[in-house]
Amino acid sequence: MPRKKTGILILYAIFITVNLSLAQKNNSYPKDDDPLHVKVRMYEQLMLDNHWNEGTILFHALHHQDGKNIDGFGLHSDLIDATGEMLVAYSCKYAITKDKKDKKIADQVFDGILKAETVTGVPGLVARGFYKANEPQWFEKAWYDEWHWSSSMPGYRWLGDQSIDKLVSVFHSLGMYYELAADEAYKKKVEGLLSRFIGKIVNDNFRIMDLDGKLTLWGNMCPDLPHNKLNSLVALAAVKAAQQFTGESRFASAYKMLIEKYHYDDRQLLTNHLFPEHMRHIWDDYHAVRSLYTVMQYETDPDLLNKYRMTLNRQWYVWKDITFEEESTIFYIMLYDLMTGENAMEDPARIDVLKSMNGHKRGTRTFNLPMEDGSRMKITTEYDRASTAFIRNYWFGRYFGFVDPNW
Amino acid sequence: MKNWKRDFGLFLSVSLVAMVFISANDPSTDNKVSPPEGMVYVPAGPFIMGSDIDDPDSSPQHIAETGAYFIDKYEVSNAEYASFDSEYTYPEGAGERAAKVNWHQATAYAKSIGKRLPTEKEWEKAARGTDGRMLPWGDFYDDSFVIYSRNNTRGQSIAKPASPYGCFDMAGSVWEWTADWYQQYPGNTHDMEQYGEKYKVIRGGSTFNNFACYTTFHRYYVHPVDTRAYPIGMRLVKDIE
Repeated sequence: MPRKKTGILILYAIFITVNLSLAQKNNSYPKDDDPLHVKVRMYEQLMLDNHWNEGTILFHALHHQDGKNIDGFGLHSDLIDATGEMLVAYSCKYAITKDKKDKKIADQVFDGILKAETVTGVPGLVARGFYKANEPQWFEKAWYDEWHWSSSMPGYRWLGDQSIDKLVSVFHSLGMYYELAADEAYKKKVEGLLSRFIGKIVNDNFRIMDLDGKLTLWGNMCPDLPHNKLNSLVALAAVKAAQQFTGESRFASAYKMLIEKYHYDDRQLLTNHLFPEHMRHIWDDYHAVRSLYTVMQYETDPDLLNKYRMTLNRQWYVWKDITFEEESTIFYIMLYDLMTGENAMEDPARIDVLKSMNGHKRGTRTFNLPMEDGSRMKITTEYDRASTAFIRNYWFGRYFGFVDPNW
Repeated sequence: MKNWKRDFGLFLSVSLVAMVFISANDPSTDNKVSPPEGMVYVPAGPFIMGSDIDDPDSSPQHIAETGAYFIDKYEVSNAEYASFDSEYTYPEGAGERAAKVNWHQATAYAKSIGKRLPTEKEWEKAARGTDGRMLPWGDFYDDSFVIYSRNNTRGQSIAKPASPYGCFDMAGSVWEWTADWYQQYPGNTHDMEQYGEKYKVIRGGSTFNNFACYTTFHRYYVHPVDTRAYPIGMRLVKDIE
């Protein structure tokens, strides 16, 4: 082969490689056998580089078909979950390191959650996510038809249909941030957001309402409507957290009313399904345990504490035997230990799982999107799934002594 | 004495209305009608529609009326719809409910077998009968009556207590298309930009949504073609000739 032709081929190969490897700002993943602290450091950087969306964290960062790096290009339905995990992670990290850079990131993440409120133009956190765009992007069609142009921040799109699990992510993560990282100015901001978000829910009779006045598909804690018993527990935890951090008496009244008039304390006893087994929902138990952790921290009435403990015991019936590998499972056991002091995490098999925790590798996904003319548009793209739960588990585990810094 | 007369008169009037109401809607008074296989009979007459405790678009609670009709006991299954649309694919079992069908496809399928989509009134009456109940089986919720599943969010049937006319899975399973545009109820004062002829009404909730969506009066709006991620199927009506 002539030398010139070979050279061109090599250049072409380099060009292709560069294009592929520059699919996102950061393409450096740790090796599977790297120590835990190395994996965490690299995944933190991946989150900051590839998932960062004005302080919030994209749950799925999609790769733009033109190879562009566009902030907010991804799936937003679970953005608040990933963002809350990042907030807990950096709150715990700052509590350990006392490094101002870590506090700054925690503050920026909190500011991102605040922006998710501001973008809707109304008080209360009714947005699941947001991004800046000149025109709606195709990924909007991958989920429910709840995208809107912002009236308060021109050029922004935001996603409605807020849900109960995001409420849990908010009060849990803001509580951790408040106690571990926020300074006085940010504590005031946290109090304000909880007051507006949970205050709006109370005013709307324990419903998360969209701006069109309709109850969201997953926002029902209303005593006048049939609702999941898990949601009774979430309602109690939400108003308890709001009462704790804002000191507003209306939340104490709401908590009392839910218990004395509507017996939510009894309803929450059956938060999880035990039988038939196929109706057990591990993901829902994850919301329940974060709610229990919140409400049991601030409740002082021994009878109510007993009832919450009964709910936890009922959940443990399932969780004591569960495969201990999922991110949410690891976090569940850590919270369980903190609430009960039973040291379930000291099981050698569980410690091995802690040591081998890891983030998510890059993947490929195909979307089959409905068009208004009845056809469907197929888009296949690479995506990065947020590893914030892994990072959260690591720093939460470090802070509470579950994870050894030398691992 | 005057009060006694007035009260008695009121009692008599209410009783008469109730008797007319009940006789007009009691399936047993119309027992000569035999529905086609897989369908049930809903007699003509008034029923209580809407609610004052649900979203504002379901109010006010009011009296509406339908003619007599037959309606499917169950939602249309994957296998049934696939026999009409050869391009239809589904990850669940053939017997599970079809859950990815747009409004035009549902309408075309219905027409092909001599049926049609129910109006909102017909759907709601089939679900709640004439006593204004909140859920197809009564005014209480029971966890065992609806599969609330994250593992299979589309189209699971549980076939637990039937509606007053014998329909199953009108709470949960998949959302169901109706024939109607999303319009404001008579007397409703809550203005919504979605009202008009852009969205069709879906009813019944799906297994993964909150329980308020399972109520017999809850309304939701979806574009007839651009259905996004909503799991929507159908239950069909046949006119009585």
